Amino acid sequence: QSNLTVCFSVGYSAVALNHVIDFKEKKQEIIKPVSPSELFPSLPIVQGTSKRIKVLTRLTLVVSDPSHCNLLRSTSANIRLYDIIAVFPKTEKLFHIACTTLDVDLVCINVTEKLPFYFRRPPVNMAIDRGIYFELLYTPAIKDSTMRRYTISNAISLMQVCKGKNIVISSAAERALELRGPYDVANLGLLFGLSESEAKAAVSTNCRATMLHGETRKSACGVVYTVKKPRKVEEEETAVPACKKAKTQA
Amino acid sequence: MVRFKNRYVLCEVVSEDPRCRQCIEDRTLGLAVRDAIARVHGDYGLACCSISFTVKYLNAYTGTVLLRCRKDSYRLLCSALPFVRYLESRAQRYPCFLNTLHVGGTIRTCQKFLIQYNRIELLRLLQNCTTEEERQCIQKSLLSCSLTEEQSQSGDEEEDDGTE
Repeated sequence: QSNLTVCFSVGYSAVALNHVIDFKEKKQEIIKPVSPSELFPSLPIVQGTSKRIKVLTRLTLVVSDPSHCNLLRSTSANIRLYDIIAVFPKTEKLFHIACTTLDVDLVCINVTEKLPFYFRRPPVNMAIDRGIYFELLYTPAIKDSTMRRYTISNAISLMQVCKGKNIVISSAAERALELRGPYDVANLGLLFGLSESEAKAAVSTNCRATMLHGETRKSACGVVYTVKKPRKVEEEETAVPACKKAKTQA
Repeated sequence: MVRFKNRYVLCEVVSEDPRCRQCIEDRTLGLAVRDAIARVHGDYGLACCSISFTVKYLNAYTGTVLLRCRKDSYRLLCSALPFVRYLESRAQRYPCFLNTLHVGGTIRTCQKFLIQYNRIELLRLLQNCTTEEERQCIQKSLLSCSLTEEQSQSGDEEEDDGTE
Protein backbone atom coordinates (compact mmCIF):
# COMPACT_ATOMS: atom_id res chain seq x y z
CA GLN A 1 0.00 0.00 0.00
CA SER A 2 2.89 2.35 0.64
CA ASN A 3 3.89 1.74 -2.97
CA LEU A 4 0.67 3.31 -4.05
CA THR A 5 1.07 6.37 -1.89
CA VAL A 6 4.48 6.98 -3.37
CA CYS A 7 3.06 6.59 -6.88
CA PHE A 8 0.46 9.16 -6.23
CA SER A 9 2.90 11.65 -4.85
CA VAL A 10 5.17 11.25 -7.82
CA GLY A 11 2.61 12.04 -10.45
CA TYR A 12 1.03 8.99 -11.98
CA SER A 13 -2.60 9.14 -12.88
CA ALA A 14 -3.42 5.47 -13.21
CA VAL A 15 -1.88 2.42 -11.62
CA ALA A 16 -2.49 -1.27 -12.27
CA LEU A 17 -1.86 -3.89 -9.63
CA ASN A 18 -0.51 -7.10 -11.01
CA HIS A 19 -1.23 -10.66 -10.05
CA VAL A 20 1.19 -13.21 -11.49
CA ILE A 21 0.13 -16.75 -12.24
CA ASP A 22 2.80 -19.31 -12.85
CA PHE A 23 2.02 -22.70 -14.22
CA LYS A 24 4.75 -24.73 -12.65
CA GLU A 25 2.45 -26.03 -9.99
CA LYS A 26 -0.18 -28.55 -10.82
CA LYS A 27 -3.31 -26.69 -10.04
CA GLN A 28 -3.72 -23.01 -10.18
CA GLU A 29 -6.97 -21.30 -9.81
CA ILE A 30 -7.48 -17.79 -10.75
CA ILE A 31 -8.63 -15.90 -7.74
CA LYS A 32 -10.67 -12.81 -7.70
CA PRO A 33 -8.69 -9.64 -7.91
CA VAL A 34 -8.39 -7.46 -4.86
CA SER A 35 -10.78 -4.65 -5.24
CA PRO A 36 -9.06 -1.27 -5.01
CA SER A 37 -11.64 0.12 -2.65
CA GLU A 38 -10.48 -2.35 -0.04
CA LEU A 39 -7.04 -0.82 -0.06
CA PHE A 40 -7.99 2.81 0.07
CA PRO A 41 -11.06 4.29 1.63
CA SER A 42 -10.85 7.28 -0.66
CA LEU A 43 -8.51 7.50 -3.58
CA PRO A 44 -6.24 10.51 -3.43
CA ILE A 45 -6.11 13.08 -6.14
CA VAL A 46 -3.58 13.24 -8.92
CA GLN A 47 -0.93 15.83 -8.44
CA GLY A 48 -1.55 18.77 -10.74
CA THR A 49 -5.09 17.97 -11.81
CA SER A 50 -8.29 17.60 -9.93
CA LYS A 51 -9.17 14.04 -10.79
CA ARG A 52 -8.83 10.93 -8.76
CA ILE A 53 -6.27 8.29 -9.48
CA LYS A 54 -7.51 5.16 -11.18
CA VAL A 55 -6.39 1.85 -9.77
CA LEU A 56 -6.79 -1.05 -12.15
CA THR A 57 -6.21 -4.73 -11.75
CA ARG A 58 -4.13 -6.81 -14.04
CA LEU A 59 -3.26 -10.46 -14.52
CA THR A 60 -0.02 -11.88 -15.85
CA LEU A 61 0.16 -15.45 -17.06
CA VAL A 62 3.56 -17.06 -17.25
CA VAL A 63 3.14 -19.60 -20.04
CA SER A 64 5.70 -22.22 -20.95
CA ASP A 65 3.35 -24.69 -22.57
CA PRO A 66 0.60 -24.31 -25.15
CA SER A 67 -1.93 -26.04 -22.95
CA HIS A 68 -1.76 -23.20 -20.48
CA CYS A 69 -3.32 -20.92 -23.04
CA ASN A 70 -6.57 -22.79 -22.78
CA LEU A 71 -7.11 -21.04 -19.53
CA LEU A 72 -7.60 -17.82 -21.40
CA ARG A 73 -10.34 -19.25 -23.54
CA SER A 74 -12.15 -20.77 -20.62
CA THR A 75 -15.17 -18.95 -19.46
CA SER A 76 -13.99 -18.61 -15.93
CA ALA A 77 -15.77 -15.63 -14.53
CA ASN A 78 -12.78 -14.39 -12.62
CA ILE A 79 -10.76 -13.61 -15.68
CA ARG A 80 -13.32 -11.09 -16.78
CA LEU A 81 -12.91 -9.17 -13.58
CA TYR A 82 -9.37 -8.16 -14.44
CA ASP A 83 -8.97 -4.99 -16.43
CA ILE A 84 -5.78 -5.86 -18.24
CA ILE A 85 -4.43 -9.27 -19.16
CA ALA A 86 -0.79 -9.88 -19.94
CA VAL A 87 1.04 -12.96 -21.06
CA PHE A 88 4.67 -13.84 -20.57
CA PRO A 89 5.76 -16.29 -23.27
CA LYS A 90 8.79 -18.40 -22.69
CA THR A 91 9.34 -19.97 -26.09
CA GLU A 92 9.28 -18.83 -29.67
CA LYS A 93 6.10 -20.71 -30.51
CA LEU A 94 4.27 -19.23 -27.59
CA PHE A 95 5.45 -15.77 -28.56
CA HIS A 96 4.04 -16.35 -32.03
CA ILE A 97 0.75 -17.63 -30.64
CA ALA A 98 0.49 -14.74 -28.20
CA CYS A 99 1.07 -12.16 -30.89
CA THR A 100 -1.29 -13.62 -33.42
CA THR A 101 -4.20 -15.39 -31.80
CA LEU A 102 -4.35 -14.95 -28.07
CA ASP A 103 -6.75 -12.46 -26.64
CA VAL A 104 -4.45 -10.41 -24.46
CA ASP A 105 -3.49 -6.77 -24.08
CA LEU A 106 0.20 -7.00 -23.30
CA VAL A 107 3.06 -9.32 -24.11
CA CYS A 108 5.79 -9.21 -21.50
CA ILE A 109 9.36 -9.40 -22.67
CA ASN A 110 11.75 -11.12 -20.36
CA VAL A 111 14.50 -8.86 -19.14
CA THR A 112 16.17 -10.98 -16.51
CA GLU A 113 17.96 -13.47 -18.73
CA LYS A 114 19.20 -13.86 -22.25
CA LEU A 115 16.27 -14.42 -24.56
CA PRO A 116 16.10 -17.99 -25.83
CA PHE A 117 14.57 -16.85 -29.09
CA TYR A 118 15.01 -14.04 -31.52
CA PHE A 119 12.20 -11.74 -32.49
CA ARG A 120 10.98 -12.15 -35.99
CA ARG A 121 9.18 -9.53 -37.94
CA PRO A 122 5.89 -11.26 -38.94
CA PRO A 123 4.49 -11.96 -35.46
CA VAL A 124 5.64 -8.56 -34.20
CA ASN A 125 3.92 -6.77 -37.07
CA MET A 126 0.77 -8.74 -36.53
CA ALA A 127 0.78 -7.80 -32.86
CA ILE A 128 1.16 -4.14 -33.76
CA ASP A 129 -1.79 -4.40 -36.13
CA ARG A 130 -3.92 -6.05 -33.49
CA GLY A 131 -3.10 -3.38 -30.97
CA ILE A 132 -1.07 -5.52 -28.59
CA TYR A 133 1.74 -3.79 -26.72
CA PHE A 134 5.09 -5.13 -25.64
CA GLU A 135 6.10 -4.54 -22.11
CA LEU A 136 9.53 -3.93 -20.64
CA LEU A 137 10.34 -3.85 -16.98
CA TYR A 138 12.81 -1.44 -15.48
CA THR A 139 13.13 -2.40 -11.83
CA PRO A 140 15.60 -5.26 -12.38
CA ALA A 141 17.81 -2.76 -14.20
CA ILE A 142 17.91 -0.54 -11.16
CA LYS A 143 18.73 -3.34 -8.80
CA ASP A 144 21.43 -5.35 -10.43
CA SER A 145 24.21 -4.79 -12.94
CA THR A 146 23.93 -8.06 -14.89
CA MET A 147 20.17 -7.61 -15.14
CA ARG A 148 20.85 -4.18 -16.54
CA ARG A 149 22.87 -5.67 -19.37
CA TYR A 150 20.20 -8.20 -20.23
CA THR A 151 17.51 -5.57 -20.04
CA ILE A 152 19.29 -3.26 -22.41
CA SER A 153 20.26 -5.95 -24.88
CA ASN A 154 16.77 -7.45 -24.99
CA ALA A 155 15.18 -4.03 -25.26
CA ILE A 156 17.41 -2.95 -28.10
CA SER A 157 16.84 -6.15 -30.03
CA LEU A 158 13.10 -5.60 -29.65
CA MET A 159 13.49 -2.03 -30.88
CA GLN A 160 15.30 -3.16 -33.98
CA VAL A 161 12.38 -5.34 -34.95
CA CYS A 162 9.45 -3.18 -34.02
CA LYS A 163 10.98 0.25 -34.67
CA GLY A 164 9.90 1.58 -31.29
CA LYS A 165 6.15 1.28 -31.76
CA ASN A 166 3.79 -0.25 -29.25
CA ILE A 167 6.15 -0.27 -26.30
CA VAL A 168 5.12 0.14 -22.70
CA ILE A 169 7.67 0.54 -19.93
CA SER A 170 6.56 -0.54 -16.50
CA SER A 171 8.01 -1.29 -13.14
CA ALA A 172 7.88 -4.51 -11.21
CA ALA A 173 8.44 -2.69 -7.97
CA GLU A 174 7.95 -4.62 -4.81
CA ARG A 175 8.93 -1.78 -2.57
CA ALA A 176 8.07 1.89 -2.71
CA LEU A 177 11.66 2.97 -3.28
CA GLU A 178 12.01 1.05 -6.50
CA LEU A 179 9.58 3.29 -8.29
CA ARG A 180 10.66 6.12 -10.51
CA GLY A 181 8.80 9.17 -11.69
CA PRO A 182 7.30 9.36 -15.18
CA TYR A 183 9.92 11.75 -16.53
CA ASP A 184 12.68 9.44 -15.29
CA VAL A 185 11.06 6.41 -16.86
CA ALA A 186 10.86 8.25 -20.18
CA ASN A 187 14.59 8.96 -19.86
CA LEU A 188 15.17 5.25 -19.28
CA GLY A 189 13.35 4.68 -22.53
CA LEU A 190 16.11 6.69 -24.22
CA LEU A 191 18.61 4.18 -22.88
CA PHE A 192 16.57 1.37 -24.38
CA GLY A 193 16.93 2.84 -27.83
CA LEU A 194 13.69 4.75 -28.15
CA SER A 195 13.60 8.26 -29.51
CA GLU A 196 12.52 11.08 -27.25
CA SER A 197 8.91 11.23 -28.38
CA GLU A 198 8.57 7.45 -28.47
CA ALA A 199 9.90 7.23 -24.94
CA LYS A 200 7.36 9.74 -23.66
CA ALA A 201 4.64 7.91 -25.52
CA ALA A 202 5.74 4.64 -23.95
CA VAL A 203 4.89 6.08 -20.59
CA SER A 204 1.72 7.94 -21.43
CA THR A 205 -0.23 7.35 -24.60
CA ASN A 206 0.64 3.70 -25.10
CA CYS A 207 -0.45 2.86 -21.58
CA ARG A 208 -3.71 4.63 -22.12
CA ALA A 209 -4.23 2.70 -25.32
CA THR A 210 -3.63 -0.54 -23.41
CA MET A 211 -6.29 0.42 -20.90
CA LEU A 212 -8.72 1.10 -23.69
CA HIS A 213 -7.80 -2.17 -25.35
CA GLY A 214 -8.61 -3.96 -22.11
CA GLU A 215 -11.97 -2.30 -21.98
CA THR A 216 -12.58 -3.21 -25.56
CA ARG A 217 -11.83 -6.80 -24.75
CA LYS A 218 -14.30 -6.75 -21.92
CA SER A 219 -17.07 -5.32 -23.96
CA ALA A 220 -16.33 -7.38 -27.05
CA CYS A 221 -16.54 -4.53 -29.52
CA GLY A 222 -15.20 -1.05 -29.98
CA VAL A 223 -15.31 1.57 -27.26
CA VAL A 224 -16.88 4.90 -27.91
CA TYR A 225 -16.40 7.80 -25.56
CA THR A 226 -18.77 10.70 -25.72
CA VAL A 227 -17.89 14.24 -24.88
CA LYS A 228 -20.34 16.42 -23.05
CA LYS A 229 -19.45 19.75 -24.53
CA PRO A 230 -21.57 22.33 -22.68
CA ARG A 231 -21.22 20.99 -19.15
CA LYS A 232 -17.69 19.73 -18.81
CA VAL A 233 -15.03 18.15 -20.97
CA GLU A 234 -14.62 14.42 -20.45
CA GLU A 235 -11.12 13.37 -19.58
CA GLU A 236 -10.93 10.80 -22.36
CA GLU A 237 -10.42 13.41 -24.97
CA THR A 238 -7.39 15.01 -23.38
CA ALA A 239 -4.13 13.28 -22.83
CA VAL A 240 -3.69 11.87 -19.38
CA PRO A 241 -0.29 12.91 -17.99
CA ALA A 242 1.18 9.53 -17.18
CA CYS A 243 0.10 6.02 -16.72
CA LYS A 244 2.03 3.15 -15.23
CA LYS A 245 1.68 -0.35 -13.95
CA ALA A 246 3.02 -1.44 -10.62
CA LYS A 247 3.50 -5.10 -9.98
CA THR A 248 2.95 -6.45 -6.52
CA GLN A 249 3.36 -10.08 -5.69
CA ALA A 250 0.10 -11.31 -4.33
CA MET B 1 27.75 35.17 -29.35
CA VAL B 2 29.95 32.45 -27.92
CA ARG B 3 29.15 31.21 -24.49
CA PHE B 4 28.84 27.90 -22.76
CA LYS B 5 25.29 26.61 -22.66
CA ASN B 6 24.22 24.70 -19.60
CA ARG B 7 21.24 22.67 -18.64
CA TYR B 8 19.80 22.86 -15.16
CA VAL B 9 18.00 19.75 -13.93
CA LEU B 10 15.53 20.16 -11.10
CA CYS B 11 15.02 17.04 -8.98
CA GLU B 12 13.30 16.08 -5.80
CA VAL B 13 14.74 13.59 -3.35
CA VAL B 14 12.06 11.16 -2.24
CA SER B 15 12.74 8.91 0.68
CA GLU B 16 10.84 7.01 3.32
CA ASP B 17 13.26 7.76 6.10
CA PRO B 18 12.70 11.21 7.59
CA ARG B 19 16.31 11.41 8.69
CA CYS B 20 17.45 11.24 5.09
CA ARG B 21 16.27 14.74 4.36
CA GLN B 22 18.37 16.22 7.12
CA CYS B 23 21.60 14.78 5.89
CA ILE B 24 21.30 15.90 2.28
CA GLU B 25 24.41 17.84 1.44
CA ASP B 26 25.74 19.03 -1.86
CA ARG B 27 28.83 16.88 -1.63
CA THR B 28 27.03 13.65 -0.79
CA LEU B 29 24.50 14.23 -3.52
CA GLY B 30 27.15 15.09 -6.07
CA LEU B 31 29.03 11.93 -5.22
CA ALA B 32 25.90 9.79 -5.46
CA VAL B 33 25.01 11.19 -8.88
CA ARG B 34 28.55 10.82 -10.20
CA ASP B 35 28.64 7.26 -8.96
CA ALA B 36 25.40 6.47 -10.77
CA ILE B 37 26.73 7.99 -14.01
CA ALA B 38 29.91 5.96 -13.69
CA ARG B 39 27.96 2.77 -13.20
CA VAL B 40 25.66 3.34 -16.13
CA HIS B 41 27.81 5.15 -18.71
CA GLY B 42 31.30 4.21 -17.60
CA ASP B 43 34.39 6.34 -17.62
CA TYR B 44 33.44 8.20 -20.79
CA GLY B 45 30.08 9.22 -19.41
CA LEU B 46 31.52 10.32 -16.12
CA ALA B 47 34.17 12.42 -17.81
CA CYS B 48 31.67 14.04 -20.20
CA CYS B 49 29.17 14.92 -17.54
CA SER B 50 31.59 16.27 -15.01
CA ILE B 51 32.89 19.08 -17.20
CA SER B 52 30.61 21.60 -15.59
CA PHE B 53 28.79 19.54 -13.05
CA THR B 54 27.78 21.15 -9.79
CA VAL B 55 24.93 21.07 -7.35
CA LYS B 56 23.62 24.59 -7.64
CA TYR B 57 20.81 24.68 -5.12
CA LEU B 58 19.76 22.42 -2.33
CA ASN B 59 16.79 22.65 -0.03
CA ALA B 60 16.94 20.13 2.78
CA TYR B 61 13.38 20.79 3.97
CA THR B 62 11.62 19.96 0.73
CA GLY B 63 14.36 17.82 -0.75
CA THR B 64 14.74 19.94 -3.87
CA VAL B 65 17.99 19.78 -5.78
CA LEU B 66 19.20 21.76 -8.78
CA LEU B 67 22.03 20.24 -10.79
CA ARG B 68 23.97 21.87 -13.60
CA CYS B 69 25.70 20.21 -16.52
CA ARG B 70 26.70 20.99 -20.09
CA LYS B 71 24.07 21.02 -22.78
CA ASP B 72 25.92 18.35 -24.76
CA SER B 73 25.88 15.84 -21.98
CA TYR B 74 22.61 16.46 -20.20
CA ARG B 75 21.08 13.38 -21.76
CA LEU B 76 23.71 11.19 -20.18
CA LEU B 77 22.99 12.80 -16.84
CA CYS B 78 19.21 12.54 -17.13
CA SER B 79 19.28 8.93 -18.16
CA ALA B 80 21.54 8.03 -15.23
CA LEU B 81 19.43 9.78 -12.57
CA PRO B 82 16.95 6.90 -12.15
CA PHE B 83 19.84 4.70 -11.06
CA VAL B 84 20.57 6.62 -7.86
CA ARG B 85 19.49 4.28 -5.13
CA TYR B 86 20.86 5.64 -1.92
CA LEU B 87 22.65 8.57 -0.38
CA GLU B 88 25.66 7.83 1.74
CA SER B 89 26.89 10.19 4.42
CA ARG B 90 28.85 9.62 7.59
CA ALA B 91 28.90 5.87 7.00
CA GLN B 92 25.12 5.66 6.85
CA ARG B 93 23.17 4.62 3.82
CA TYR B 94 19.75 6.06 3.22
CA PRO B 95 17.72 4.48 0.44
CA CYS B 96 16.01 7.09 -1.69
CA PHE B 97 15.34 8.01 -5.26
CA LEU B 98 15.48 11.16 -7.35
CA ASN B 99 12.41 12.35 -9.15
CA THR B 100 13.18 14.66 -12.08
CA LEU B 101 10.84 17.60 -12.18
CA HIS B 102 12.09 19.96 -14.85
CA VAL B 103 15.02 20.56 -17.15
CA GLY B 104 15.72 24.17 -18.05
CA GLY B 105 18.32 26.25 -19.78
CA THR B 106 18.65 28.88 -17.09
CA ILE B 107 18.28 29.03 -13.36
CA ARG B 108 15.42 31.48 -13.72
CA THR B 109 13.18 29.08 -15.63
CA CYS B 110 13.82 26.40 -13.07
CA GLN B 111 12.96 28.85 -10.33
CA LYS B 112 9.67 29.74 -11.99
CA PHE B 113 8.80 26.09 -12.32
CA LEU B 114 9.74 25.44 -8.72
CA ILE B 115 7.50 28.20 -7.45
CA GLN B 116 4.57 26.83 -9.42
CA TYR B 117 5.30 23.32 -8.23
CA ASN B 118 5.58 24.39 -4.60
CA ARG B 119 2.30 26.21 -4.91
CA ILE B 120 0.61 23.04 -6.08
CA GLU B 121 2.27 21.05 -3.33
CA LEU B 122 1.06 23.51 -0.71
CA LEU B 123 -2.45 23.21 -2.06
CA ARG B 124 -2.20 19.48 -1.69
CA LEU B 125 -0.93 19.81 1.86
CA LEU B 126 -3.80 22.13 2.59
CA GLN B 127 -6.20 19.31 1.89
CA ASN B 128 -4.50 17.00 4.31
CA CYS B 129 -4.29 19.58 7.07
CA THR B 130 -5.69 18.60 10.40
CA THR B 131 -5.45 21.61 12.66
CA GLU B 132 -6.76 25.07 11.98
CA GLU B 133 -3.48 26.86 12.65
CA GLU B 134 -1.62 24.69 10.18
CA ARG B 135 -4.27 25.57 7.66
CA GLN B 136 -3.88 29.27 8.23
CA CYS B 137 -0.13 29.01 8.10
CA ILE B 138 -0.24 27.32 4.74
CA GLN B 139 -2.77 29.73 3.34
CA LYS B 140 -0.58 32.62 4.35
CA SER B 141 2.47 31.13 2.67
CA LEU B 142 0.44 30.41 -0.45
CA LEU B 143 -0.51 34.02 -0.75
CA SER B 144 3.03 35.19 -0.31
CA CYS B 145 4.54 33.08 -3.08
CA SER B 146 6.16 35.36 -5.58
CA LEU B 147 9.32 36.10 -7.48
CA THR B 148 10.75 39.25 -5.93
CA GLU B 149 13.54 41.37 -7.27
CA GLU B 150 16.62 41.80 -5.21
CA GLN B 151 19.88 43.50 -6.02
CA SER B 152 22.69 41.02 -5.85
CA GLN B 153 26.06 40.72 -7.49
CA SER B 154 25.32 37.92 -9.88
CA GLY B 155 21.92 39.32 -10.73
CA ASP B 156 20.08 36.24 -9.55
CA GLU B 157 16.56 36.62 -8.31
CA GLU B 158 15.58 35.49 -4.90
CA GLU B 159 12.44 33.55 -4.47
CA ASP B 160 10.16 33.89 -1.53
CA ASP B 161 7.99 30.90 -1.18
CA GLY B 162 6.64 28.75 1.57
CA THR B 163 8.59 25.73 2.63
CA GLU B 164 7.40 22.69 4.49
